[in-house]
Amino acid sequence: MNALIMALDSIREKKGRSFLTMLGIIIGVTAVLVLVALVSGYNADITAYYEKLGVNKVNVTVTWYDTSRSVDVMSALYDYCDQELSDMVEEVSPDLSTSLPMKYRTTTLDSSTVYLGSDEYAVCNNYTLKSGRDINAFDIEQRNRVCVLGSYVADSLFQYADPIGETVYLGGEPFTVVGTYYQKDGGTEGAMDDMAVIPYSLDRAMLQTDYLTSFTVKVDKSDNMDAVMANLEVFLADTISSTVGEYELENGNAAMTESTEEMISMSVVLGGIAGIALLVGGIGIMNIMLVTVTERTREIGIKKSIGAPRGEIIGQFLVEAAILSGMGGVIGILLGYGLSLILGKAMYDLILFPGGLLPRRERSRHRPGGGGAVRPGHRLRRLRRQLLPGSGADPGPVLQAGGAGRGPRGSGKRQRLPHPLFRRGGKPLGGLLHQPGL
Amino acid sequence: MSLIRLDNVSKIYAQGQENQVNALDGVTLEINQGEFVAIIGTSGSGKSTMMNILGCLDVPTAGEYYLDGVPVSGCTRRELEQIRSRQIAFIFQGYNLILSLNVWQNVALPLLYQKVPLAQRKQRAMEALEQVEIAVKADSRPSQLSGGQQQRVAIARAIAARSPILMADEPTGALDSRTEAQVLELMKALNRQGTTVILITHDTGIAAQAHRTVRVMDGKIVHDSLWDGVLMDINAPAMGVTP
Repeated sequence: MNALIMALDSIREKKGRSFLTMLGIIIGVTAVLVLVALVSGYNADITAYYEKLGVNKVNVTVTWYDTSRSVDVMSALYDYCDQELSDMVEEVSPDLSTSLPMKYRTTTLDSSTVYLGSDEYAVCNNYTLKSGRDINAFDIEQRNRVCVLGSYVADSLFQYADPIGETVYLGGEPFTVVGTYYQKDGGTEGAMDDMAVIPYSLDRAMLQTDYLTSFTVKVDKSDNMDAVMANLEVFLADTISSTVGEYELENGNAAMTESTEEMISMSVVLGGIAGIALLVGGIGIMNIMLVTVTERTREIGIKKSIGAPRGEIIGQFLVEAAILSGMGGVIGILLGYGLSLILGKAMYDLILFPGGLLPRRERSRHRPGGGGAVRPGHRLRRLRRQLLPGSGADPGPVLQAGGAGRGPRGSGKRQRLPHPLFRRGGKPLGGLLHQPGL
Repeated sequence: MSLIRLDNVSKIYAQGQENQVNALDGVTLEINQGEFVAIIGTSGSGKSTMMNILGCLDVPTAGEYYLDGVPVSGCTRRELEQIRSRQIAFIFQGYNLILSLNVWQNVALPLLYQKVPLAQRKQRAMEALEQVEIAVKADSRPSQLSGGQQQRVAIARAIAARSPILMADEPTGALDSRTEAQVLELMKALNRQGTTVILITHDTGIAAQAHRTVRVMDGKIVHDSLWDGVLMDINAPAMGVTP
C-alpha cells in the first residue's frame, strides 16, 4: 500500500518521463493489436469474398482439339453427377462469360458481364433469386432469349422500377428479363452484381463459339470435394479422349485455403515484429527503472538508515515499474482498439465494397429451398427428364477411352481468382478472366 | 553492561587488492546508555566507517559489535532493519530529507517502518516538530526550508522515532554558528531526556560540547577521555581543525 502510494507519487512527480517510459509499451501493444487485428480482418474479408463467390466448387475446364462438338460434355457431366454423384453434387452449370453492352431504352451499361449458365447457375455461384423466376430447363432447351439480372444491372437500368417482363438488349440482341438476383457484393460497377445470366444453349448465338469450355460442379460440402474430384477425373478421362481435347479440374476451395494459409503466416510474421516492438518497450522500462534506482541511491540510503525494510524499497520500484507497464498496456490496448476500428473500417471499405454484404442470417433466409426437402435443381432436373427423355438417357462416355487417352491431370490453377485487394472498386477483372479463350 | 561495545573491530575495504584500506584497525570501544560521546578525527581517519558500523549500516570485517549485548554480526538482514528502525536514529550533515515528501511526512517516515498507524504517525510527527519549533512548516517541502530548519526537521525525525541512540554525522557542518548552537542545544536536550548521543565531527569546538571525546586517527582510537571542561584540546596533537 505504501509502496503503491510512493510509486504513484513518483510517477506523478515525473509525468513527462513516465509518459516517455510508457511510450515504448504503448507503441508495442498498439502495434501488436493493430497488426494482428488487420491481418485477421484481411483474412475474414477474403474468406467472405470467397464465400460470396461460392464455395465447394469444382471447376472443370476443357480445351477442345476436335471442334465438331462430337462430345456433349455438359449433358454427360450433368447426367453423371445426377446419377453417380447425386449424394455429393448439388448442381452443375456451364461457366462461361462475356462482356456485352446492356441497353434498356436509353440507358446503356458498357462493362457488365453476361454469364451463360444452366438453371442451376445461381446456386452454383451463390446468387439468390429476388424477384421473378430463374432460368429453367425449358429456356435452355428452347434457347429462349431470357435473362436474369444482377442487382447492379437491375438497379442501373430500371432505376428501381420492376424489370420483370421488360426487354433489354444484350450486345444488340433483345432479351426478356424474367428475374433478378439479390445483391451479394458491393452493388457497384464491376462487382459481382454487375451481371446477367442467360441460358447456356445460346452460346453459339452470343459467343460465336461451337463448344462449351468451362463447367462448375457444386459439391454439397468441402469434405466431399476430394471424392468428387477423383470421380470426375475418372469420368472425364473416359469421356474426353486425348484426341478430342484436354480437361483440367480445379478445386475451387484451394485458392481460399491457400490465401488463408498465407494470412496465417503473415500474421505470425507481423505479430512477431510487433512483439519485438513490445519487447523493446519492456527493455525501455527496465532501463528507466535502472536509471531511477541509480539516481535515487541517496533516497534509498536515507530510507535504509531510518529502518526501511529491503522489501519496502524494492517493492516501491517494482510497483512503479508495474504501474508504468500496466498503464502503458492499458493505454496501448485502448489505442490499439481504436486504431483497429478506424483502420479496419477504412480497409474493410476498400476491400469489401460497403454495404454489399447482407447479414448472414438474412441471406440464408433468402436462399431458395433452404430447409426444404427438394432442391429446385432437382425438381427442374426431374421435370426436364420427363419432358426431354432423350437428353439424359445415356450417361456413359460417348467415346471409348483409349488406354493412353487420359487428359492431363488438372493440377495447376489456370485461373487465379482475382484477389480482393486488387479489386478496389475498379474494373471487373473477373469478367475478363472468365472469358473463354483467355 | 554497556549499550554499545566494539570488540577489536576492523574494517578493511578492497580486501586483498592493491589499494586495500584498513579503515578501522582493531578498535575497542564501550559506550554506556545516556552518554553524549563525540567521535573526533580528520577526514580519512575512519570516524565515518565507525559510525556506519555503530549504526548497523555496515558490518565489520573482523571483530564483534555488541549492541545492547547482542552480537550484530549474527543478525539477519531483517533483524538489522529492525535495529535501525527501532534503536538508532541518524542525523547527517546533508540533512538527508526525502525531497518528494513534505516535512511532517519526512518526520513520520521512520514510524511508517515501525508500523505505527497513520493518525498516530502524524500526531507524533507534529509533537516532534513542535519540540524543535518548526511545526508551522509541517506542510512545506524540505526544499522550501533553510539549512538550519532542515536540520531541525532531521532532528525531529530522530525525536519522533523515539530511538534510544542518536547518531549525528557532522550535524552542523553546513550551518552557521548561531544555528549550530541551536542544533547542538536540541541534541543536548535529547541527551538529557535519556537518549544516547554519538556525535561525529572533525571540529574540536563542537566536540567540546560532549561529555566524552573519542579521537580516531588512521583507524585507531588514539585518545578517549571524559571531558572535564579544562583538559583536552591544549595537549592534543593537531586535529585538523578547519580554520
